[in-house]
This record gives sequence, structure tokens and C-alpha cells, in this order.
Amino acid sequence: MSDTTAEAAPLVTTAPAPGGAESFTDRLRRPRTYAVLIASVLLLALPFYLDRFWLQAGLFAMAAAIGAIGLNMLTGATGQLSMGHAFFLAVGAYSYCILAGESSTENGHALTGLGLPTWLAAILAVLLAGAAGGVFSPIAGRLRGAYLGIATLALIFIGQHILFNAGSLTGGYNGRAVPPLSLFGFTFDDTEVVVAAVPFGSSEKLWYVGLVALLLAALFARGVLRGRPGRAMNAIRDHRIAAGVMGVPVARYRAGVFVLSSMYAGLAGVLLALVFQRTVPEYFGMILSLEYLAMIVIGGLGSVAGAVVGAFFVSLLPQVLTHYSDSLPLVSAPGTGGLAPGEASRYLYGAAVVAVVLFLPGGLARLGIALPRVTRPKKSGEK
Amino acid sequence: MKLRALTAVVAALTVTLVGCSGKATEGKGEEQDKAGIKTGPGVSSSTISLGVLTDMTGVYASLGKSVTQAQQLWVKQINAKGGICDRKIELTVRDHGYDPQKAIAGYTELEPKVLGFAQFIGSPFVAAVEQRIDGKDKGLVLPQAWSANLLGSPYIRVVGATYDIETINLIDHLLKEKRIAKGDKIGHVYFEGDYGENALTGSKHAAKEAGLTVVEQKIKPTDNDMTAQVAALKQAGVKAVVVSAGPRQAASLVGVAAATGFNVSVVGNNSAYAPQLLKTQAGPALLKDYYIASSTLPIGDPGDGPSLLAKQYASQYPNDVLDNGVVAGWTAASIFGEALDKACDNKDLTREGVDKALLTIKGYGTEFGVSHDFSDPAAPSTRESVIMKPDATVPGGLKVISPASVSEAAKSFTLK
Repeated sequence: MSDTTAEAAPLVTTAPAPGGAESFTDRLRRPRTYAVLIASVLLLALPFYLDRFWLQAGLFAMAAAIGAIGLNMLTGATGQLSMGHAFFLAVGAYSYCILAGESSTENGHALTGLGLPTWLAAILAVLLAGAAGGVFSPIAGRLRGAYLGIATLALIFIGQHILFNAGSLTGGYNGRAVPPLSLFGFTFDDTEVVVAAVPFGSSEKLWYVGLVALLLAALFARGVLRGRPGRAMNAIRDHRIAAGVMGVPVARYRAGVFVLSSMYAGLAGVLLALVFQRTVPEYFGMILSLEYLAMIVIGGLGSVAGAVVGAFFVSLLPQVLTHYSDSLPLVSAPGTGGLAPGEASRYLYGAAVVAVVLFLPGGLARLGIALPRVTRPKKSGEK
Repeated sequence: MKLRALTAVVAALTVTLVGCSGKATEGKGEEQDKAGIKTGPGVSSSTISLGVLTDMTGVYASLGKSVTQAQQLWVKQINAKGGICDRKIELTVRDHGYDPQKAIAGYTELEPKVLGFAQFIGSPFVAAVEQRIDGKDKGLVLPQAWSANLLGSPYIRVVGATYDIETINLIDHLLKEKRIAKGDKIGHVYFEGDYGENALTGSKHAAKEAGLTVVEQKIKPTDNDMTAQVAALKQAGVKAVVVSAGPRQAASLVGVAAATGFNVSVVGNNSAYAPQLLKTQAGPALLKDYYIASSTLPIGDPGDGPSLLAKQYASQYPNDVLDNGVVAGWTAASIFGEALDKACDNKDLTREGVDKALLTIKGYGTEFGVSHDFSDPAAPSTRESVIMKPDATVPGGLKVISPASVSEAAKSFTLK
């Protein structure tokens, strides 16, 4: 351990010397640089400290964040309400299982599997989720707001019916096992790999996959939202006719965003499946879609940060409450009567939605943005 | 440039942080206490921790509550007697509300801290963690589900007859009572999914053995009105109906059949009844010609086991309903206790020790009418079913009309 720090240390000291000194020192003065630094160190080091329970909770939150970013582009940025997000998550999760799994018999169902390499299956699953969104896009392109919400509601019911009944593909009620992801000969499963004397199981390994996936997803979405397409999307949300007059192809954009958001959902589905190690149809119901909507409303509509914050809030809250149910006031341990942690978390995020709508119209993400703005007012000179 | 510097700093700090982790492999293996008893996860010198993954806020809320409270009652009594192996039993309860994410999170949370699970509601979730249980965890899990799909694992052990065997016994009862005969049609209304489909396997087997024809009616757990199903079955001319659904569906089916003058016997699996049904409009019809099979005596039975449990449960939880979940929970917990006792005698309180001890349990649980045999992981613990009939005068609303027995067809039935 000490060896590696010694090697790394000179790198740090020599780095600022050649070129770009001005911009670099400038950056060094900003608190943001340190925040990013500390956050990345923490995120990278967490698997070495946290229990599997917290890592798994974190992974659920990361997957939810990816899905929520997708939904936020559709609902938050473009103003298209979708209740069918759970359906696309299911498409991603199940496609991965079908593409990567081997044909086998399980629970009385003869399961079909194509046995593709798992990384390829993961990519194809995301594309398939996009394709499913594409099939729906003639409708998504024409309907707006609440009307689209109602139309997409149908997707959940159709989806769950298929999941329960297409036994040879989905494994029916009990779902099917998820083959562990394997990348360059490294498998993200439960076989223990000891890194720095810490045993790495699937959660520890997947943590890094989740981080990379979330980072890429967030950067891509930020690019889209900050660029030309993002402005077009906001224009459609704010005034559809004006956007059309200015030359934004409204229907095409709506359809396109719908496809993109389903691909995000597909990616989230693949990650969730990997964490669950088994896909269960029960999960991909209407409650899940509503939770995603709650995430983006609580976090903040229309921004990537909002989606991520909201996703972490909504998916970690019940876990935290359950974990500490013994020591929290008012919340009682299950089985002793009184308010169960599951119920308590529902009340809490119900209250959070109301509070956010009333007092923080920009969502929780606003809280975070407000601070740096105050501390660095001269930022406007920069690009 | 600055990006590279930042990366380097992050890498250096990470490596430093990582080096001093407390999660690094410590002696997590087996230990021995003063008395020479081997212990493992979930067992300390003074306590044995057991996990309970239940549903108190979801679709199986009423079952989950009864089962959990019965198990808490059992723990209280065992601890009052001094515990097992000089250790107090401790239950850690997690309510997952029938949500897969919470169920799996609950398992992950409790698994490192407990010896095994005395209750796990939701067969899809048990299936989801089966790989982990069979692979590395190896803790004993007693699911509150009776699907044949759960059989086969040496660590996940079903207490009682599976739905397929129960259904065969039910149809056999109808044959014995001369309600149906060779060549007749029987209807089967079943839930999509594990429970219903497993029961359907049973009714098909029984029908083949007895020369009957099964008319299938698949329903969803959200379907509460059985009018269409009754009409279809009436049209098909069935002589009896099997219900493998929830209490609500059973009540609707029996009620609608009676109201439309369709007088057939209706039989249901253990999950197709709740004592609260007798207070509904379907009550009188249910009292007339409805039968339930189960792997335990009902809570209202005058036998020693059930009556004592009913008394104790009622004094501990005076406001709660007495139903068959109480017996099921108690039975599962006491079987876990029996395995712990044997493991203690063998001086091996590790997970492996408890698994091994369970394999030696035979002929257990007779005070609740059915004898369980855990020596074969591939078979359910019993093939016997008690046939019961609703009765408004006893607590729990059920009385026995035929004691535990196994039909010829159920004996010959090969699982999977």
C-alpha cells in the first residue's frame, strides 16, 4: 500500500508545472474542484468499506439514476409524460437475460437463450429497449403531455401480461436467472477476488460498472440537454407551436426523445438485472413507473443532476429507514405494531413531493446549485 | 493536463484510503466456544439470531402478520425456558411489502448477521436468492410458500405438502365422497404464476389417474369477480371446482355459484380461505359445500397442539385474528428450533451443522396433525393433507372433516 502512494505522489507534484498553469491554478481555487475530487475518491473507495447491503442499495440507486435521467429528458425537458418507463426497464432486463442466457429448463419452463457474450448482450439489450421505444414512437410523436401518459399506461399492462405468460422467454412468475456480466475475461459474479485484502463479491465488482455506466449516461445526457437538441426539446415543452414555427420538427423530436429515454431505461434495466441476479415480473409494474416520476419531481425536472439526486433520495430512503428502524423515533420494527418502515418511507416521500412542489419548484438539485453560485460570482467570464 | 493530474490525485487518495479498510478479511470463519460448540455467522456466546423476511404491508399482509407474530410468540416462550444451547433466540424482522427490491435488499442485509431464516414470504424472491443460498451462504431458509419449484435445494426446505400434492388430495376427497366419478369434468380456477400453475399440475395428475377432465380457468390476482368463470364452468358442465387462488376469489366463486343455482362442491388450497370471509355475503354458501386442504390442523381444532397455541396467541395478541398463518408460523419456527436443538447436541451450531441436523428430523409435528420428514431435500416434508370445512362457531373458522392422510394418487405422484 505504502509503495503505491509513494509512486503516485511525485505524479501529483509534477503535474501542475508544465503548461496551462493559469487555468489550472484558477481551477485549484475553486471549491468545485475539491468537491469533485473528494466525491470521486469516496465513490471509488466505498466498496472497500461498505457492507454488501449498502453497496447493493447504492447500485439500485445508480440504476434508478440512469433510468431517471432518461425519464427526465422525456418528461422534464420535453414535457412528455410517460407512465411506461417500467416497461422499457423490463425490456432491457429481460432482453439481456434472453440474449446472454443459455437455453435451459427451470421451474418447469423450457427457457430459450441465445448464449451471446454478456457484454454484447448488454449493448444489444439497450438497443432493443430503444427499438421497443421506436415501435411506440409513432404514438409518442403525435401525443402530448397527459395523453401520452395514458397511452403509455397500456404498455405496463401489456408488458406485465407478456412477462407472466411468455414462459419460455421470461420464465413466467418466478422470472429467470441473470447471467453475470463478463468483460475481457473478468466476470462480475460472486466468486471472491481479494483486492487489498478485501474480498470482492458481485456487489463490489458491479459497483464500478455502475459508476462507469452512470457517469457515461450522465455526461451524454448533459451533452444532449445543453446542446441544440436540448434547446429544441425545451422549446417543445414550453410552446409546441412556437417551436414548430421556429423550425423544430416537433413530432420527430418527440419520437426521438422517446427512443432515447427508452434506451436509458433499457440500460437501467440491464444494471438492475445484474444486481438482482434474477428478473422478476412482479417488479416491473405501475408502482415502479410512479417511483421514477417521483424521482424526477423530487430531484428537479429537466436536469441530469435533478434526476440523479431524486433517484438516490427515492431509492435509498426506504433502505435507510428499514436499516435504522430500531433506533428511529415513531418508526417501529416490523411486527410490533405501529408505523412500519415501509409505510413510513411512503409517507416521507409523499411529503417530500408536496414539499418540493410547494417550496422548491426546481427540486432538490436546486439546493446544491444555489450554493456554488453564491460562492463564485465571477464565473460568468468563463465559457 | 489538469485532467490527468486530477486523476492521479484521485488514484493516490483512493489507494491510501483503500489500504486502511476495516472490511479486509478478518477471521470470519468458524469458532469454538468454551463448551466446544462450533459456531458461525449469527451465533454468539449468548444469542442465536434468526432472520424473518415477511410481508406486512403488501398483498400477503394478513398472512405475514399472523406468521410473524406466531414466531415471535415462539421465541418468547423458548427464551422464557432458557433458550436453546444456553443462548437466547433473537428474531430480526424485515418487512418487504412484496416488493422484490426490498426483499432482496432485506436478504442481503440480514444474511451476514443471522444463522438462517425462519420465514421467507414470496417464492419469486426465494428463487431470486436461491443461487446465493446454494452457492456461498448455505443458511437454512424455511419459506412460507408451498410451490414444488422450491424443492431440491438442501438449504431451502418447504414445510408441508406442496400445492400439487394438496390438490391431488383434495380431488381424492371429492372422489371418496362420491361427489365426482370417472368421466366427469372438474373445473380448476387458478392464479397465473407459481401457486396456481403448481396446483394445476396436481389436478391434471389426479384427473388422469381418476379418468376426469379438467376445465381450466386462469385468473390474475387482481381479478376479484368470478362471475365470468362461474358462467364458463357452468356452460362446460363441471361437477366440482378446484380453487387455487386467494380468499377473495374463492368467496366470489362460491357466492356467485350459489346465487346462480349452480350447485357444485368447491375445494380450495390452504391459501384460498380466510375466517373473515364468513362475515361476507358469501358466508352461508361457504358453510354449505366448500372444503380446504392444509398441512396442519386448523387453529380452532380441539386437539392439544392447536388449542394451546390458540390460547397463548390470543392472550398475547388479543386484537388479532386467529387464522392458519398462526399455526404455519409456529410450526416453521418450532422446526427450526428442533434443528437447533439437534445441532446443539452435535456441538455444531454452524450453518452446515443446522442443515445436517434438519436432515435427521423425522416424524416431527404430530401435535398439529401432520408428521413431517426432512430427510430428503428433493421431497416436501409431508404428502399428507388435512381436509377442513368452514365453521363459524370455532376460532379460525375451520373444522376438520377428514384427518391427515395421503391419497394413492398423491403417493404415486412424482415431483417435477
